Amino acid sequence: MKELLIIIPAYNEEKSIERVVNHVINDYPEYDYVVVNDGSKDHTAKICRKNGYNLIDLPVNLGLAGAFQTGLKYAYRQGYEYAIQYDADGQHKAEYIEKMLTEMKKGYDIVIGSRFVDDKKPHSMRMLGSRIISTAIMLTTHKRVKDPTSGMRMFNRAMLKEFALNLNYGPEPDTISYLLREGVKLSEVQVEMDERLEGESYLNMVRSIKYMIHMTVSILVIQNFRKRDSRFVKDEKNVEVLK
Amino acid sequence: MTNIFRIILLVVSLFTMIFMLKRIRQSKIQIEDSLFWILFAVMVVILGAFPVIADFMAGVIGIYSTVNFIFLFFIFILLIKEFSMTIKISQLENKIKELTQEIALGKATEQHESNSKTYTADSEAEKR
Repeated sequence: MKELLIIIPAYNEEKSIERVVNHVINDYPEYDYVVVNDGSKDHTAKICRKNGYNLIDLPVNLGLAGAFQTGLKYAYRQGYEYAIQYDADGQHKAEYIEKMLTEMKKGYDIVIGSRFVDDKKPHSMRMLGSRIISTAIMLTTHKRVKDPTSGMRMFNRAMLKEFALNLNYGPEPDTISYLLREGVKLSEVQVEMDERLEGESYLNMVRSIKYMIHMTVSILVIQNFRKRDSRFVKDEKNVEVLK
Repeated sequence: MTNIFRIILLVVSLFTMIFMLKRIRQSKIQIEDSLFWILFAVMVVILGAFPVIADFMAGVIGIYSTVNFIFLFFIFILLIKEFSMTIKISQLENKIKELTQEIALGKATEQHESNSKTYTADSEAEKR
């Protein structure tokens, strides 16, 4: 078993799944991978079985958060040290995983593959959302996250356990903001991302606006009232209490 | 709007808010499901704090009394919520049905396979 698991959630990705997974298998044998088919209506699962991919096949659609959590539960039970969220549509580039892993081993809990560490954020409508979320996180945590909506996030064992076993730990900026406030160590590494080659983005106009409202209210209001399960707090005071 | 009515609105929304945040704190509800009630409570607070808005809206639609406008407004919002919840519950029931069938069918095929295996093993033993 390798130390890092690449989790590839896939929903209706029959056009790209083969290219993406074959690339990971052939060019990056130093990592393990698992495809989580999120109850796709197309032939995603069939293609995975035909190629003999390592596959978790969900019988119903759970949404990205549920599918990714399934992958994390698998990583936790199998005993992986690190796990990374990796898109099935070919947006993410596997060549940056090594860079992120090196950063992780400097002692971080979460490493984000960020498009805007060195590069400037463009002034487009899409990036407006990213800016609003960055500002909301800044206001509540006083820390800067340059690319909060990046889907390429790596977690260490403590984090993947916490994400795997709890409610309200979706792989979204509001969870990141909450954990930052709790003192979790986060770093960003500059990566490049490809535009989607096929399929349509999950976010259309109405969904984007809904998503933005959800994220801003969640980060600015709701996250401030959450209480962390003491089993997951890496705090010396708490360790004393537990003893 | 009387002051007592405004106070009732404020108190009710405050309780809604506290109740929801407490649930989130105890990890008893998903954040996306609590969102509606948080925004709902905020709306009630706004209407209670600034009755001018409700007065204005009632005038626009042509409703005689401001309070009636508030009733109508919330009946509509709750109807929409009820509608979307009916859809969601229906989808949930369908998912549970599919899941149950999937588990049962999976077990049935497993059993079937192991049965046929013992059968072939037995028949081979008989041949010898």
